[in-house]
Amino acid sequence: MRSLLGDMRYGFRLLRKRPAFSLIAVLALALGIGANTAIFSVVDAVLLRPLPYADSGRLVALWERSPQLEDGSVAYLNFLDWKAQSRVFESLAARQGANFNLTGQEEPERLNGANVSAEFFPLLGVQPLLGRVFRADEDRAGAKKVAVISYGLWQRRFHGDEGILGRAIDLDGAPFTVIGVLPAKFRDPAYAERVDVYAAIGRDADRLQNRGNHPGIYVVGRLKPGETLAQARAEMDLIAQRLERQYPATNSGRRVAVQLLQDRLVRDLRTALLVVLAAVGFVLLIGCANVANLLLARAAERQPEIALRAALGAGRWQLFRQLLAESLVLALAGGACGLLLGWWGMRGLLAVAPEDLPRFSEAAMNLRVLGFTLGLSLATGLVFGSVPAWQSAWGSLHDVLKESGRRVSGDLRRNRIRGLLVVGEVALSLVLLIGAGLMLRSFARVLAASPGFRAERVLTLQIDLPGTKYQKPDQWIQFFQQVLGRTRNLPGVLSAATILPVPVGGFGWQTGMRIEGREYPTPHDSDLTDIAYVTPDYFQTMGIPLRRGRVFTEQDREGALPVAVIDEKLARTYFPDADPMGKRLAIGGKNWQIVGVVGHVKNYGVDQESRVETYLPFYQSPRPAMSLVVRTTMDPAQLAGPIRGEVRQVDPNQAVSDVRTMERLVADSVAPKRISALLLGIFAAIAVLLAAVGLYGVISYTVAQRTREIGIRMALGAGGGDVLAMVVKQALALGGLGMAIGLGGAALLTRAMKGLLFGISAVDPLTFAAVPAALALVVLAACYLPARRATRIDPVTALRYE
Amino acid sequence: MDNGDQALIRLQGVTKVFVTDEVETHALSGIQLQIQKGEYLSIAGPSGCGKSTLLAILGLLDTPTDGTYTLNGRPVSGLKLSERARIRNREIGFIFQAFNLIGDLTVYENVELPLTYRGMPSAERKRRVQESLERVGMSHRMKHYPSQLSGGQQQRVAVARALAGDPLILLADEPTGNLDSANGEAVMNLLKDLHRNGATICMVTHDPRYARFADRTIKLFDGRIVEESVESAVTN
Repeated sequence: MRSLLGDMRYGFRLLRKRPAFSLIAVLALALGIGANTAIFSVVDAVLLRPLPYADSGRLVALWERSPQLEDGSVAYLNFLDWKAQSRVFESLAARQGANFNLTGQEEPERLNGANVSAEFFPLLGVQPLLGRVFRADEDRAGAKKVAVISYGLWQRRFHGDEGILGRAIDLDGAPFTVIGVLPAKFRDPAYAERVDVYAAIGRDADRLQNRGNHPGIYVVGRLKPGETLAQARAEMDLIAQRLERQYPATNSGRRVAVQLLQDRLVRDLRTALLVVLAAVGFVLLIGCANVANLLLARAAERQPEIALRAALGAGRWQLFRQLLAESLVLALAGGACGLLLGWWGMRGLLAVAPEDLPRFSEAAMNLRVLGFTLGLSLATGLVFGSVPAWQSAWGSLHDVLKESGRRVSGDLRRNRIRGLLVVGEVALSLVLLIGAGLMLRSFARVLAASPGFRAERVLTLQIDLPGTKYQKPDQWIQFFQQVLGRTRNLPGVLSAATILPVPVGGFGWQTGMRIEGREYPTPHDSDLTDIAYVTPDYFQTMGIPLRRGRVFTEQDREGALPVAVIDEKLARTYFPDADPMGKRLAIGGKNWQIVGVVGHVKNYGVDQESRVETYLPFYQSPRPAMSLVVRTTMDPAQLAGPIRGEVRQVDPNQAVSDVRTMERLVADSVAPKRISALLLGIFAAIAVLLAAVGLYGVISYTVAQRTREIGIRMALGAGGGDVLAMVVKQALALGGLGMAIGLGGAALLTRAMKGLLFGISAVDPLTFAAVPAALALVVLAACYLPARRATRIDPVTALRYE
Repeated sequence: MDNGDQALIRLQGVTKVFVTDEVETHALSGIQLQIQKGEYLSIAGPSGCGKSTLLAILGLLDTPTDGTYTLNGRPVSGLKLSERARIRNREIGFIFQAFNLIGDLTVYENVELPLTYRGMPSAERKRRVQESLERVGMSHRMKHYPSQLSGGQQQRVAVARALAGDPLILLADEPTGNLDSANGEAVMNLLKDLHRNGATICMVTHDPRYARFADRTIKLFDGRIVEESVESAVTN
């Protein structure tokens, strides 16, 4: 150990003596290790670190699926049956996203909240910071309204007052008694949003008695010790079949999906993160290849020193260990700088990531990440250091000691290794570049794709009317009519309308519909459609084109003929050869006559496949929660304040939330693609830079090594062009071989990115042609300087060169 | 010897000055020299007297600081680099002390190298390479690499390379310097044979035994020609 430390000390001294060499090597390693550290900190937080709940490996997510809908929410009565009939779970809990208007003090505020069953907190193993969580008797219809609030809300709105327990707060106009405050570190398992208030779901049990109603409930379960996911799936399948037989009208074809909670949370992120992790792995390998190349060049210079040490009695292993120790010093220095870069990179990553990416915000430089960086540094030291060390320690010492042996097979071997390293670098860079190219092309397609409406200069904001104050549909209609009327009168407003749910807002509503004239196997079968409730001006405000018939008018109200507008996708799908106008759709127990066909809107983001859609008139099917959409002649964000003011004029206690521009909503919907493209782009650029530096180094070294040969060639009549061509040919041969390997590798590896791409194939011909062409230019640029230097070699000096 | 009209090479007042760290070193001073077609000239002198500098200027590897150099009736001192390379390739054949074969190329490829710079068709190149190697008795080693040959054999390959382009003059810089006496003798005999068949040769040597192979010997000292002698016969 002492001698290893001595070797490392000597290595450190050598590094100090060669600052330029050391700087380049440490920088190359720091870039690779830094990128890996930054991405690993996120991978650790998102994929590796257990969820912050007791024994979280036993937590599962459950939801309903049907042939039409893979990802459906759970009917409350089905949840109760699952709970009663299942044996593999210690406990099952329901969770339904909900919003509450907090009123009665200061400014009204719309809070993200959730209705949960009494099992929810005990199942997660969460103890409140203050007070208690829900009791079973509070999770029943008609029970006293109680709430558990988050630490953040407690601090923000109640200034950390411990007297909050037992106090009533106004949520949606009704008093809820606060019974508990959650710890600061508690995270809701939905993760996508900050949840400030929880209420017991059972208090609304009376309204959840329709088994055909799937009101956004998702279920969390804790497996009994020893029970497996497969057993849980098998049991839930049996239960679902039993319920199907028992309730064919509502449960026909319905099954239960069961997945580990952690896997459910990260879903699409897993592939994206693994692709990016592979990308930074490539960057590190390229950095290693560069440093190995530098060390090989230096090893050639140090051959006499090594030979002398051997002549003085140093054993092969001693020499190997000494040279490897020097590599480790380099790697550790690279690791230390990489850690700084990684921290900086992680901060940058968190700054550009959208807030709702699950667990991203938990990324941190913890002990595990530090251990990863240290391990990575030592591993890279071994990877890039062992080959040059082996070469030097096991080379032909006799040849080195003979003057005539200066250019013997050792050099040829070393050159071959150096060439292979550069081939590898170019190959890895090409794979990365093609990956980045595919992501960028895909992202460009996403940006170019139309969401189906004109997003520019449209503001949207959400208004949830509290049920305690606004109980009747007439009140809802009156409120929104007043708000719309006032908003339209604001300067800068072109038109205004309401919709539920707002497109690309992160969720959609689906419902079953039966189409007049279409045959269904059983009376319980139906087709699935997205559904939206809109006021007449909605289509004009959003710029959604009318294809046939008409849109809604002010006359489409209660008492008039129930009418529907369908989108062109529905028309194409279900009326391919017939005219849909005048046909009727049975939705929610009512028949709606189709009066118009409008353009298709991509409700889940421009890069997502969306379903057929049916619009119903708000005035015939009013809702208490709607989104306002306002088209403006100016920057829409500037109208947020005035519109809030108009809402307050109608009801001073009414909260407004989710104030965003439609452009922002559209941009957020493609954020994961934007980040993947950005990250891959950055890492590919680093990779290409490193590969170019590596190629430059190898070609420069080769030119220096071939000075005498170039002199001979010039003496024999080679002109500048001949020498230039010779050097460029060598670079192109290395680059060409690397690119050929890289193309093959890219064709194999980019398949893993299939799910991340939009509108292009994973072997997109344009990308696969353009990227190698661009890289060939980089190869040419990298060898240009050494090639020019070669043409300026003075043959007289070169022929004297030894 | 003042037969200027038939001179292949004519140097008039050639001077070469190297400047390093503001110190001027006169490598050659006012050299007047003519080499006739078919002549075998030897340049002798002690180390540092300017022999190699003179040969580099003759071979268009270097340019004189002052004076004129006429090759085959054409002034060549002020030519562009590309034109000098073309002349080196077509009109001059080099033989070096250290052979200067390229280790990664086979014997055949080494000899072929100057012809490839001429853009000569492959069939013609092949014919010339084979002919040249036969002339020096190395055609049976065409596929070998230089490292697989003895020093004498390597120098014969170097001679073949110099001959392949059918140059006006062969410039040999200490061609026996790296060879034992037997191999040295053999190479000198080879040059003599070439001369007998009409080749013009200019050879630098410090060995008086080999200087006698030439028709004429000039001696350099401190960058000046200090002596000139004509051999009447060569002892083999």
